[in-house]
Amino acid sequence: MRKWNTDWGLQGRMLFTMFLLAAVYLFFLAFLSYQGAGMNVMIIFIGGFMFIQYFLSDKLVLMSMGAKVVSESEEPQLHEMISRLCAMADIHKPRVAVVNSSVPNAFATGRSPKNAVVAVTTGIMKTLTSSELEAVIAHELSHIKNRDVMVMTIASFLSTVAFFLVRYLLFFGGGRDRQSGGIMGVWLVSILVWVISLLLIRTLSRYREFSADRGSALITGAPSHLASALMKISGIMPRIPTDDLRKVEGMNAFFIIPALSGSSIMHLFSTHPSVEKRIAALEKLETELEM
Amino acid sequence: MGFLDALLGKSKLPKAKVDRLFAISTASITLDVNLGLKPGGSAGICFKSMESSRYAAARLEIEELLQYSCKETGTEYRVQKDEFNYLWVLLKDPDFEDLVTNIHLISQTLIEQDFSEQLLCAIYRFQGESTVYWIYNYKQGGYYPFVPKGDHQRDNNLEFRLRSVMDSELPIEKNVEKWYPLWGIPF
Repeated sequence: MRKWNTDWGLQGRMLFTMFLLAAVYLFFLAFLSYQGAGMNVMIIFIGGFMFIQYFLSDKLVLMSMGAKVVSESEEPQLHEMISRLCAMADIHKPRVAVVNSSVPNAFATGRSPKNAVVAVTTGIMKTLTSSELEAVIAHELSHIKNRDVMVMTIASFLSTVAFFLVRYLLFFGGGRDRQSGGIMGVWLVSILVWVISLLLIRTLSRYREFSADRGSALITGAPSHLASALMKISGIMPRIPTDDLRKVEGMNAFFIIPALSGSSIMHLFSTHPSVEKRIAALEKLETELEM
Repeated sequence: MGFLDALLGKSKLPKAKVDRLFAISTASITLDVNLGLKPGGSAGICFKSMESSRYAAARLEIEELLQYSCKETGTEYRVQKDEFNYLWVLLKDPDFEDLVTNIHLISQTLIEQDFSEQLLCAIYRFQGESTVYWIYNYKQGGYYPFVPKGDHQRDNNLEFRLRSVMDSELPIEKNVEKWYPLWGIPF
């Protein structure tokens, strides 16, 4: 019984993305320091702001989503499911929260496995079967295990700085510009850095999703559960006929899920890979499992 | 999980550790003498089933092994699924040593079949005034006590007492937060 190998393609792409991001940031920092003072204060200020955000990430997200942390006696089934998954993956059991919403969704947050929260909506608990829910939760646990909050916070730090600069210079103009064409130059470079880094961050984010999908398949041993959960959540499921083949006549049985022709530019900026791509990746895992 | 693994989002599950599984056999004497807990004559292994044809083949192999080994020791066995879709191998035998031997044998077989990552826990039941389970967490390689009482309640006092008495004899999971309950253990 062979387990999945590391997906070196994914790892390589992820490393390359991080490398590019680091390169863009280094260039940005060098450029800013060349422009002289005034920038440092701002970087420290934004740094502090992001640090607080990072430190309170779990509380902030819970508050903004209206998630309520539930005890074991309130949601025994959910708790036990999560306990078992944590024991399998050997991670610290996160707090469990429920959002009262009919939208089927789940998320995880927290700067480290020690103070993480995993949350599900009441909608998702109604929509999915228990094994599908388990797969979704395993996906969220993988996010925690991979410290995605930390990785993405670090990745987006200077991008935020660039974004602030773009806005700030637009309204106030620079302070003292020593270099000729200073403000305009800083502004243009900031825009450039912001756009490129955003692209890279979003790419990284999509790779993290693929990683978490892999993690889910690994923990549950069943890639297809996550695939069907994704289908259900994204609303593709209702298109698949449930009628017996013998009941439907002739060609009607051959359903086609139309390929979503989302514009490619939108894909570049999305945080999640398309459901089709994720399902394809999961199916590949499924085949690996059988080989 | 190292920092680099996290950075790269590499997912790895820890492998099962079985080296300390045997510790329970000597500990059972102390449990009896000091706490009046006698082996309850049953034990079990809980692991996550997978979807793959190879898994089905492995399951057959385990069943064959069970048949063979349980005939030797006169142990009764049963395989069943629980509500969370985990598989249980349940063993019944008045002779505690035979239980320990069989649990070890099955664990080894599952690991050889490469199900190391799918193993959740092995459980021994003890009976005194209350029912006490000693749960072996394969990932941690340690035991912890679990005393369910009533509806989703557990007797923490007794669990801590068990820990203090058995600390020198059993490799006990130090982090109490990892003493995960298992409700509705099927034996």
